[in-house]
Amino acid sequence: MKSAAAYALVLLLLASCIACAAAPATAPLDRGTQDALNEIDASTGPLAATRPVATAGGEESSPELRWRDLVRLFFPALATAAAVGVSASVVGTFVLLRREGLMALALPQVVAVGAAVGMRLGWPTLPPALVCAGVAAVYFALSKRWGAGNWILPSFYVAGMSLSFLVIAGSGQHVADLQNVFTGIDVAVSVGRAKLAVPVLLALALCAAVLWRRWLLIAQAPAAAELAGLHPARWDVLFLVLLAVVLLLGTDSLGVVMVLAMLFLPGAAVLPWARRIPAALAGAAVVSLVMLAIGFYLSNRLSWPLSHSVGGVGFVVLAVSHLLATVRG
Amino acid sequence: MLVELSDAVFGYGGRAVVHVGALGLDTGRCLGVFGPNGAGKTTLIRGVTGLLAPMYGGVWQHEGVRFGYLPQHRALELHWPMTAFDAAAMATSARKPFGWVGGAAHRVTKSMERLGVADLSGRAFARLSGGQQQRLLLAGALASEPTVLVLDEPTDGLDVQSRRTLLDLLRDLTAEGLSTVVISHEVEDLLLLCHDIAWLHLGEGPGRPSEVELIRPDGLAERMLHARRPA
Repeated sequence: MKSAAAYALVLLLLASCIACAAAPATAPLDRGTQDALNEIDASTGPLAATRPVATAGGEESSPELRWRDLVRLFFPALATAAAVGVSASVVGTFVLLRREGLMALALPQVVAVGAAVGMRLGWPTLPPALVCAGVAAVYFALSKRWGAGNWILPSFYVAGMSLSFLVIAGSGQHVADLQNVFTGIDVAVSVGRAKLAVPVLLALALCAAVLWRRWLLIAQAPAAAELAGLHPARWDVLFLVLLAVVLLLGTDSLGVVMVLAMLFLPGAAVLPWARRIPAALAGAAVVSLVMLAIGFYLSNRLSWPLSHSVGGVGFVVLAVSHLLATVRG
Repeated sequence: MLVELSDAVFGYGGRAVVHVGALGLDTGRCLGVFGPNGAGKTTLIRGVTGLLAPMYGGVWQHEGVRFGYLPQHRALELHWPMTAFDAAAMATSARKPFGWVGGAAHRVTKSMERLGVADLSGRAFARLSGGQQQRLLLAGALASEPTVLVLDEPTDGLDVQSRRTLLDLLRDLTAEGLSTVVISHEVEDLLLLCHDIAWLHLGEGPGRPSEVELIRPDGLAERMLHARRPA
């Protein structure tokens, strides 16, 4: 069974490599990257005399300077993505351990309905998305208690995807904006948004990490927790709130693809190797940052959208990790 | 008496599940809970431990009674990465703010030493045998210093040797003054461990709660033999 899974992973990796190699080398840049590059070009005037520039003869500008400019320009997006990576990978590791992946998939779709309502009415997208996430989180918690989670969650996933586009249907640019929320093709984060999202996300990651023994106890021995005066249901709700806020801030800032990639892939890559939860959390956070760094590099080198680039790198890391784990036995 | 129940009815949402005439648990005694599936064993335990208030009747608990719980090792989710120490420290972490074990770690270690599992401390819990896992969990439950320990099917899934070792340990602990409540389908375990047995009989007729009959272990043995004896 394990060998079959390993073969499947190898095939998938090969297919991914072939698909990447077959992609046109001169693919058009996405809007965000194009704008960013235009901005760099416009801002390099004073630097032109002090460093090499591209010429018709094909000489390249100094790569260090170009990357430094890119990082500086994308800094709010990169800082937010790093914070999303750390927080989503920490929370996501627990999502995988608690077997709540379906819930984590459904929540961003529901958040997108709130974002669509905000766009439609010309409001900021965060407050209505927050309301939707809150309502959905409460409903999910109740459905779990009723034992109906297996039916409710896929339904919310589909409903979120459908309703968000129905809300926005026929309103031109907003449809593209909503598509961007789902696909995360244009990753553009304002400095103000980054200042809000980064500390909140890092605080959530810290909160989820320091409570690791609590999550372990609630999952393994809820009766022992109850006898010690704890309320497992309340801790479940707290976890759901942590997850919902990470998904909400991440989705609203960077789109669904980036958030889900950071939520699932780092944790899944490190869990086969981890002997303790703190090690798994630290490993997942490091993997998320590596995914972001390589994803950003490939995104700029190959004109790939950042979110998809990060997701692709994450999948390769996951596949290699599982292959090595299978080989190790 | 550490815990005393008098003519108490426990249930959920207005539906009576189990009725107890009289039941008590004293220091250094072991109470067995025995009965068919669906008779309300869990409901009774929730009532005895104070997690479920009685619909009628009285439940009295001695001040300062501290309940501990030994989960079934087979009920644990082994895909969580944890060492033997992490598993043993769960019960202690339950009574600590944010679950931080901190200074109480030495209690867990001492308890593990006492039960002869300290050398497993750094090993992956999932790779240990069922007997080792159950002894680790017992060490953890004892480290939380309970006055009453509730054991849920403690020997379920253990081989003969591990089962023997665990039962001996539990008998020693009871002899030292620990009060225990043992839920089990294993008549032999109850006979070896318990001083009294609460036998739950399903209610006669729809909507009737199960009735708890308090018997001595030799009474249980006699009745089980009688039930199995060919006509």
